Amino acid sequence: MRAVIAEDNALLRDGLALLLTDNDIDVVGSVGNATDLLDIVAARHPDLVIADVRMPPTHTNEGILAAIAIRRDQPEVAVLVLSQWVELTYARQLLAANPAKIGYLLKDRVMRSRDFVEAARRVASGGTALDPDVVRALLAGPSADPGLQRLTDRERSVLALLAEGRSNQAIAASLHLAIRSVEKNIASIFTKLDLPNDSSDHRRILAVLRYLSHRNNSSKDH
Amino acid sequence: MTIAGTVLRAPFAARTWRELAYSWATIVPAIPAFALLLASLVAGALSLVAIGLPLLMGCLVMARHGTSLFRRPARGLLGWPWPPPTSRAGSALRDREAWGSLAFCAVKFPITVVACFAGTVVLFTAAVGLTSPLWWPFSHSVFGLYDSLTWPQTWLLALQAALVLLALPWLVRLLVAIEKTIALSLVAPRDEQRRIAGLEASRRALTEDATATLKRIERDLHDGTQARLVSLGMLLGRLDTRLDGRVDPATRELAATASRIVAETVEDLREIIRGVHPPALDDGLSTAVATLASRSAVPAELVDELPGRVTGPASTMLYFATAELLTNVARHACATRATVRLTETASTLRLTVTDDGHGGASPATDGTGLAGLRRRVQALDGNLDISSPPGGPTVITVDVARD
Repeated sequence: MRAVIAEDNALLRDGLALLLTDNDIDVVGSVGNATDLLDIVAARHPDLVIADVRMPPTHTNEGILAAIAIRRDQPEVAVLVLSQWVELTYARQLLAANPAKIGYLLKDRVMRSRDFVEAARRVASGGTALDPDVVRALLAGPSADPGLQRLTDRERSVLALLAEGRSNQAIAASLHLAIRSVEKNIASIFTKLDLPNDSSDHRRILAVLRYLSHRNNSSKDH
Repeated sequence: MTIAGTVLRAPFAARTWRELAYSWATIVPAIPAFALLLASLVAGALSLVAIGLPLLMGCLVMARHGTSLFRRPARGLLGWPWPPPTSRAGSALRDREAWGSLAFCAVKFPITVVACFAGTVVLFTAAVGLTSPLWWPFSHSVFGLYDSLTWPQTWLLALQAALVLLALPWLVRLLVAIEKTIALSLVAPRDEQRRIAGLEASRRALTEDATATLKRIERDLHDGTQARLVSLGMLLGRLDTRLDGRVDPATRELAATASRIVAETVEDLREIIRGVHPPALDDGLSTAVATLASRSAVPAELVDELPGRVTGPASTMLYFATAELLTNVARHACATRATVRLTETASTLRLTVTDDGHGGASPATDGTGLAGLRRRVQALDGNLDISSPPGGPTVITVDVARD
């Protein structure tokens, strides 16, 4: 797998490069700002881009804008965005078009190298990786949604992990449940939320993300 | 000094000549000033159909700055205690100094025209008239000037010229006094206004300075300390992976503990940085408050009616106010839901936090911090209003002047 890193802090950029190399991911480029990122992605066609949200010149949301541009112009390139803070607005912007091949994680997660590399691979192979903090925010907020209110506590925890982008196996391991039981919970969630159930992990996750980000958007508008 | 002495000396007094010099020096700028007044009259008439209002405001701003052309010679030649205009933000339409300046533009031109005209004519005729007995004998015979006069009559002419010359200083003095009265009472800022303007300016500078300092600290912590800690955490994570299967569990446990402590430290540091200057604010108040609302312990809905990206000290204030008010809702109100509303008027930003709790919130209640919050809002010329009848609902409104 070939990856490009965009991070303005040299220390973190080098650290990330070493971490990825350790895990047999080729780092084919590392840059310090969004303009260079777009250039290098166009030139080298990596499988994965790992980008910091805040980069020069304004240190606000350059990374988000670059990520959206890359996903729009080169849909075959996956983008994992790292953020110092979890901003729901950023997550919504990223998920708005198509939540596939998109990741949005807190920067701290790079310290848990195994989980981080797993998330990077998941995103590169077409999946999603959403920070648990983002998922919590998506699930919280004004809970006027009748679908969500019908969920049991167990179903809510399964939904949260599903929204992070985890597979059935990973959810089972994380909640110490049997895979059968996870599948049953997921089926029930999809019925209660009125979503078309699908056998593939991937499509289920997309359905959940679309549902959650749409729900929060509409609650903002009225 | 006797009255006669004063009168006789007046044409030679330095004051007279300074006042005349001032009038002559300011006749040229008085012309565009008067034109500006005429333009404002037109703009004022047009403002009945709305399009003139911006023009009128432009005229007021120009008048306010244009009076400097008169202020400098007035201070230099006549020593008037005429301080420079105060630097004031806000609408020119409500600016006393600007309207005063326009009034000054209106009277300056006619007064100065009279003073200059009188000065020039009187000085010229006095020069001719006073000396006429001296040159009458020559001109009479050679050039034929003043033919109709006899020599004794030229003495009468000289006397008339002397009387006009003696009157001139008093006319100029009167005209300049009128001008001075208008300038000092209408144009010059009053003492307390200058003091208020000074205080406002220094408070603004202090607020901006504090905001900039906090931002810098946040950047330093983010780029320096936190980046180092995260890269340390990454190293430990990689170490942990490499130790897998190679060392005894106790050693591995040490590495894992070190990793965990670093992760916790990063989290602590992040909370500290958030308290110093939330980076989301750089992206605008709406983004930052949306994040706060989504993290609120009591489900909070955000109604955002701000048109675009709002930043600056006022937005920082409103951000922290939102954070505190939502914390209060969670701690004290026993509410099930809250609404955060952001709206604006031409001159203020307004935050309204409403909850469906039991009410009874008051600045006097210990632990709510409402009194402290109100003080900090007032420091930015803002206002915090509490409506919280027993039984609820509680509505807290914070208004802060836009930057």
